[in-house]
Amino acid sequence: MKSTTTLPETRALPPRQDVHANEEAVSAAEKVLRGRRRRDRLFSIGGGISIAVMTFFLLLLVIPILRYGVGAYVYRGTIEDRRVQLELFERGNADRLAQEWAQVSAARAPIYKAFQDFEAELSTRSGAQRRTLRKEGKKLHELVSGLLGVFPDEPIPTLLRDRYGKTRWDQAQQQLERILIMETWDYSGEEAVLVRSPRRDVFAGTALEPVFDLLETDPESLLLPRWTFYPQFLTDASMDAHFFGGIGPEVRGTIFLMLGAMLLAIPFGIIAAVYFQEYAGGTWVTSLLRSCVNTLSGVPSVVFGLFGLAFFINTMHVSPGKSVAAGALTLALLVLPLVIRASEEAIAAVPHTYKEAALALGAGRWRTVLTVILPAAMPGILTGIVISMGRAAGETAPIIFTAAVSVGRAVRLGDIFTEATPALSWNLYNLCTEHQSIHEVVHVQYGMALTLVALVLLFNLAAIILRARVARRLKG
Amino acid sequence: MPNALELTAAQVFRRRLAERLGRSVLLMITSVAALAVLGIIFFIARESIPFFRDHGVVDFFFKNAWYPSHNPPEFGAAAIFLGSLLVTAAAILFSVPIGILAAICLSDMLSFRVRQVVKPIIEMLAAVPSVVFGFFALTIIAPWLQQLGEHWRWLGLDSGTNALTASIVLGVMALPTIVSVSEDALQAVGRELREGSYALGATRAETLCKVVVPAAASGIFSAVLLGIMRAIGETMVVWMASGNSARIPEPWFNLLQPIRTLTATIAGDMGEADQTTGSAHYSVLFAMGLCLLLFSFVCSLAGERVVARQKRRMQGR
Amino acid sequence: MKKNALAVSASLLLGGLAALAPAADLRLAIDGSTTVGPIAKAFAEYLTRQDARFNITVSESGSGNGAKSLLNGTCDIATLSRDLKSGEKAAMDEKGVKPVVHVCGHDALTVVVHPSNKITGLTVEQLRDVYTGKITNWKELGGFDRKIVILSRDSNSGTFECFGELVLGKGVKVSSNAETAGSNGAVLQRIQSTPGAIGYIGLGYVTDAVKTLAVNGVESSPETVLDGTYPIARKLFMVTNGEPEKGSAAAMFLGLIHSKEGREMTEEVGFVPVFDGE
Repeated sequence: MKSTTTLPETRALPPRQDVHANEEAVSAAEKVLRGRRRRDRLFSIGGGISIAVMTFFLLLLVIPILRYGVGAYVYRGTIEDRRVQLELFERGNADRLAQEWAQVSAARAPIYKAFQDFEAELSTRSGAQRRTLRKEGKKLHELVSGLLGVFPDEPIPTLLRDRYGKTRWDQAQQQLERILIMETWDYSGEEAVLVRSPRRDVFAGTALEPVFDLLETDPESLLLPRWTFYPQFLTDASMDAHFFGGIGPEVRGTIFLMLGAMLLAIPFGIIAAVYFQEYAGGTWVTSLLRSCVNTLSGVPSVVFGLFGLAFFINTMHVSPGKSVAAGALTLALLVLPLVIRASEEAIAAVPHTYKEAALALGAGRWRTVLTVILPAAMPGILTGIVISMGRAAGETAPIIFTAAVSVGRAVRLGDIFTEATPALSWNLYNLCTEHQSIHEVVHVQYGMALTLVALVLLFNLAAIILRARVARRLKG
Repeated sequence: MPNALELTAAQVFRRRLAERLGRSVLLMITSVAALAVLGIIFFIARESIPFFRDHGVVDFFFKNAWYPSHNPPEFGAAAIFLGSLLVTAAAILFSVPIGILAAICLSDMLSFRVRQVVKPIIEMLAAVPSVVFGFFALTIIAPWLQQLGEHWRWLGLDSGTNALTASIVLGVMALPTIVSVSEDALQAVGRELREGSYALGATRAETLCKVVVPAAASGIFSAVLLGIMRAIGETMVVWMASGNSARIPEPWFNLLQPIRTLTATIAGDMGEADQTTGSAHYSVLFAMGLCLLLFSFVCSLAGERVVARQKRRMQGR
Repeated sequence: MKKNALAVSASLLLGGLAALAPAADLRLAIDGSTTVGPIAKAFAEYLTRQDARFNITVSESGSGNGAKSLLNGTCDIATLSRDLKSGEKAAMDEKGVKPVVHVCGHDALTVVVHPSNKITGLTVEQLRDVYTGKITNWKELGGFDRKIVILSRDSNSGTFECFGELVLGKGVKVSSNAETAGSNGAVLQRIQSTPGAIGYIGLGYVTDAVKTLAVNGVESSPETVLDGTYPIARKLFMVTNGEPEKGSAAAMFLGLIHSKEGREMTEEVGFVPVFDGE
């Protein structure tokens, strides 16, 4: 091998010299040695740093997703959350809620009263002051009803998001902050400066001033936050564009797309792998087919999307428009090379003796493949399949044009040829770029990200465990 | 029947026939699976032909004016091609040194136990869906860079979504692929070479740099190629984090400005392009898809060639 | 905890089984503009809450896509933030699709900047100069010394087309320095985090986190849209193929536009409901 000729020459060893030069030579050699050691250490440090960089990014990615994502399932829910659960999902203890509601209503009453008084008081004020106060009062009213839900004496809004207050205590606290502190910008200097001042100052001396005392000292009595475990986040439909409810339709859509893709990719993949491993000779046909599979695995995912649109929808008319079936077909193509490669590796790993024994017993080739090789290779094949499932679940680009919509009901089996579906991957994109109130649904974004990552990693973990077991079994 | 174990001529014939038949059915199914890629190339090419026929090639590649919905439309995609190449190059520059070093570290420096833990983690990182990386870029990296730009105004970093954000995240995404493939290549080098080198008095760094890495060069090369393919074909991250402005940064390599890539253009514009009338806007996106396809085709061919050559060399031929 | 997990998996399974059962659906596919998206989503949500048989999907893939889907028959209602184009109408004629346009609300293209921006208003001419790249620093408009980051929408969005028509004028191109964002939400997000940025979004998307600029001295608000003084206002449309049959899902959906609830929802998601007799 050529590279072996580039082995370090022995210049590192102290060159043989006469006795007088010996001392000098030794120190020179030491210098060289020291340099080499230093370089060696530097190299090790470089390796360590690179691992550290990778770990850093991994943690940077995982920690927020884990931390905020879990928040979609476990959080401090306010009474508004319990109302939503009871009224929209018919879940929870109605009697207890009624009790709590009475308690909260009593606590909120002074606030509502203050707004009424304020309204009456306005007419006593003079022109300019009245105008500013009215404007600020309206603003405060809006903020407070954002926190507590619609005021009791007002008509019930049609949109759910305006009907209920903040369902999560973290959001409620942010809203409180917005109520208590007014942010204005001072443009007088060279640069704009953010000025934060208590909103209370605006309402000094009016009927609304006591409201701030209440909000500052005991906001919990208004909302009764309590730790809530909401596993149904995974299955509930979203209410009012993800303001309330869960990600059920997305999860269902992702699972349908994934299963559909695997249903198509598995038979083709395994058969192709068997052919390549057991039947294919070294002909040009085989090498062409192999190159094709290799190329397929390198096709960018968005190109699969283009192809799915041009072929499955516009040419084959699998469905009139986007549909689960079209998306699954596209994804199947995408994972096909993965399945083929994994199955091939698994089949190749089956010891030759198995096959030879079967053949020697008089089994035909078919029978050998079906009864000996495939069963022996099955754990390996399964590993590949499981990894591919994760891939199919996580891909976004191929389903943009073929399957994904931003709002839709959980898809049913009968609808797969006609209906498009929401899916975790696409809706995560949709929620963090296209949603009307991106900051109101942060918990849903993270919840979706966590669910998607968990789904994919679960599959991968399963694959790793499977593989470890196979390795152990092959070792005997 | 003279001997129960002996097959008659007819039986043999039938067996052979079944074998043949089975084999050709398998070949057919395999061909369908494998030739899908030709179908993809065919369809993408077919849909892009109207564009090349009506608008030519030169303007598409070399003109910088992307006004697909304007009247008359202009399809000069130079800036978009440059954007794609720029983020890919930057991502690779970021991830290749780190990736190779990490692979070396993994294969030759860490103990077996640590490796057994680290390797699956890296593989899991490779499995994280790209939209999650995009989400990560948008919600974590972009605001950071934004604040950095606020601190140091001289950087000219006006917005958090720019080529740098996309490159960093693309680099992180390409890392696991690069690490795991190069680690496999390094492992394949074998003990003898390493021990030979140590026996000659070489330090670990020298052994690795001068013996192991050159011997694994082709594997590492294909790891880098895979990384490049992953980065240039990635859609969601660049769509969410690159700023999507179809212009050439000033100077052209300035990563701190927003750019637009081929993949993001395809994903973003397809919804709007008129598909039924076969408008140029629709076919130009397929033309871009075709370019991506050809690029990845060339990459995977190159990878195959290198691996095949290495195989020959390893076998001593 | 364990019980809950069990309940979840059970309900997942049951849900899967229930999925097998066919149901009489009031099926409705809606596709189109991201601007009209919130209205469509609110209506869909409302109807689904009224009657569980409704199966409504809403895609927000853009006005152009909406028109295309209607043409292909893949959606029942296309939502557009601009009127149908002559090319689209011609294509529909050819395919025998008879587009019926329903105005579903009004919108003001609201010019927004980061709240740290000193500017309170621009004229249409100034806006044009900013977007064509003639003015590149806020200083030139009386603001602080900061480069203007132009945010525009994908050149094919209805919002972009309206903006181009009303502000830039025919044949004028947006500066190639402009960043493009795919949706109103994306523009909003970018503006919030970018001190030098300017962008335009639908009225319904405006939040406290950004500052709106008056155009020609007129603030964008439902009132100024209603009285016609706001210079860059537009209509929002829902288009169907032929007048929908009475009692069909589409008819019920479109019926909401003029109903009390529909107007309320339109207003609550931030747009201006249709006028009487429109």
